[in-house]
Amino acid sequence: MIQLFRVSKEYGRFRHALADVTCTIERGEFVFLTGPSGAGKSTFLKLLFRDEPPTSGQILVNGRNIGVLPPSQIPYFRRSVGVVFQDFKLIRRKSVFENIAFVQNVLGLSRAEQKRRAYQVLKRVGLHHQMNAYPDELSGGEQQRVAIARAIVNEPTLLLADEPTGNLDPVLSEEIMRLFLEINIRGTTVLVATHDFDLIRRMGKRVLSLDRGRLRDAPLRRDASPTAVREAPFLPLG
Amino acid sequence: MVKPRYIFGEAWSIARSGARQTLLAIGLIALSLYVPALFALLSKNLGRLSTDAETPAAVITLDPAADGRGIARRLADDSRVREIRIVSSDAALARFRRAYPELGAALGDLKEAPFPPTIEVRMRPSAGPGAGTAVAAAARSWPGVEIAESEEEIGRRFSDGVRIVRAAGLALGGVLVLAAILSVASAIRLALDLHRDEIEIMRLMGATETAVRAPFWLHATGEGLAGGALALVLLYATYRLGLNYLARSPHPVLSMFWGSFLDWRAVTLMPLIGAAAGLFGSMISLTRRT
Ligand SMILES: Nc1ncnc2c1ncn2[C@@H]1O[C@H](COP(=O)(O)OP(=O)(O)OP(=O)(O)O)[C@@H](O)[C@H]1O
Ligand SMILES: [Mg+2]
Repeated sequence: MIQLFRVSKEYGRFRHALADVTCTIERGEFVFLTGPSGAGKSTFLKLLFRDEPPTSGQILVNGRNIGVLPPSQIPYFRRSVGVVFQDFKLIRRKSVFENIAFVQNVLGLSRAEQKRRAYQVLKRVGLHHQMNAYPDELSGGEQQRVAIARAIVNEPTLLLADEPTGNLDPVLSEEIMRLFLEINIRGTTVLVATHDFDLIRRMGKRVLSLDRGRLRDAPLRRDASPTAVREAPFLPLG
Repeated sequence: MVKPRYIFGEAWSIARSGARQTLLAIGLIALSLYVPALFALLSKNLGRLSTDAETPAAVITLDPAADGRGIARRLADDSRVREIRIVSSDAALARFRRAYPELGAALGDLKEAPFPPTIEVRMRPSAGPGAGTAVAAAARSWPGVEIAESEEEIGRRFSDGVRIVRAAGLALGGVLVLAAILSVASAIRLALDLHRDEIEIMRLMGATETAVRAPFWLHATGEGLAGGALALVLLYATYRLGLNYLARSPHPVLSMFWGSFLDWRAVTLMPLIGAAAGLFGSMISLTRRT
C-alpha cells in the first residue's frame, strides 16, 4: 500500500524535516505515527498525499510513485486520500454541509445525494444537527469533527489524520478512534499522527516513531501492557 | 470535466460571502471605465461636428442696395453650384442672436443693421477642390458684390483640425482603456487575496485547477460586466445632467460637444470591455502558485 524508500524532506537548505525514512505500511493496516513536536509527523503525512514532494527518495502509494506525479494528476490522487488536518482547514465561507460535500459538488453529484452522505458522516461524528452552521460558529472540537467527517465522506482508501483528537475530550477521542477503527475494518488504511501515548497504548496498534526526522525502532506496541489493552473501552479489532 | 452548475454556484457563493468586496470591485471597475467612456462620448460628438458642420464653399458679401436675387441667379448658372442661400441683414442678426443670446440683446439697440446681406454658396461634391475659390474669384468683379471670399481653406483647416484631434483622442483613448483594464485587473487581484486560504484548501481537497479557478474567473467576469454597466449608467447620467444644464444656459461651444449619446455599439462594448478586463485580471492573478 505505502512504501517509503530513503525519503528525505528538506524545507530550504538546512531544515531537515525528514531524513532517510524507509518503511512499509500494508493495505488495511492501522498505524500510529508519533514523536515529539517538530519531529516531522505532519511532514510525513504531507508527503503521503502529495501536499509536498520529497526532496529525495521514493514514495509509493497504491503502486504509484507519487513523488513524480504530474501536476495534472495530483488532484485525482488526492481524492483517493482522506486527510484530517492539524489545523482543520475548513473553508470559512462554506457551511458545514458545503465543506463536507465540496468534492462531490465539484464532481456534480446531485444535491440530494450530497445531503444524504453528509448527514450520514455527520451523524457518525455526532454533529448532524450542525449541518448548516458555519465553521466560525463551532467550537474547536466541533470543527475537528467536521474535518474528520469531510475526510471520510468519500470512503477513501487511505485516511491520514494529523492530531485528530487534539481538541477533543477523552470521551470524544475514544468515539473518534472507534470511528477510525470501523473505517479501518471496512478496508481503509489508517495513519494517525498523535502525541497521545495513552491513546496509542490503549489502541494497541503498530507505532511508527519519529525523532528529529528519523524513524526510530521503538515498537511501543510491545511496551503496551496487557492491562492497558483490557482497560480500553473497546478492544482493538484489527 | 467541471460542471457548470458547480462553477455558477461557487461564483455566486464567492460574490455573496464577500459582498462588500464584490461591490467595491464593481465600483472601482465602473470608475476606471467611466473615464475612457466619457472621453469616447466627447470625441464622438467632436466627430459629428466635422461631418455636420457644412461650411459654405464661398461667402459673397453684398452692397446693401445690390440686387441680391439677380446675383444669386447668376451664381446658380454655374453647374458646379448645389445650393445658394441669401442671408439678409435681419436673418444674419437673428442667427447671431440665436448663437450668442447675451451679445444679441446688446445689438438689438442698434439702428443700422450690423450685418451686411450675404449669399452663401455650397458646391456639389463632384465639383472638386478649388471650385469654391473659382466661384468667389469670378463673383468678385460683379456689380453689387462687396467682398467675395472662398471659405474652402477655412473649412479644410477645420476638418483637418478635427481629424488631428480625433487621432490624438484615439491614441489617448487607447491609453485610457489600457489603464482601465490594468486597474480592473488589480481590483480583481486585490479581491482575490481574501480567498487565498480557501483556494489552497480546495487544492488539498483534490479540486482540479479548473475547478479551483473557473468560479473565480466567472466571478471576476461578472464583476467586470456589472462594472461596465454601472459606468454606462454613470455616463448616461452625466450626459443627461449636461443636457439639462445646457438647456438652461446654452453655451456656443459646449453645446456643440454635447449633442448625442454613444451609439448602441459603443454601449454594448463597455460592459464587454469590463468583462474581458475582469477575466484577464483573474487569469493573471490566479496561477498554480497562488
Ligand atoms: N513549510 C515549512 N517550511 C519550513 N520548515 C517547515 C515547514 N513545515 C515544517 N517545517 C519544519 O520541519 C520540521 C518538522 O515539522 P512538522 O510540522 O512535520 O513537525 P510535527 O512532528 O508535525 O510537529 P507537531 O507535533 O508540533 O505538529 C520542523 O522543524 C518545522 O519547523
Ligand atoms: Mg504536526
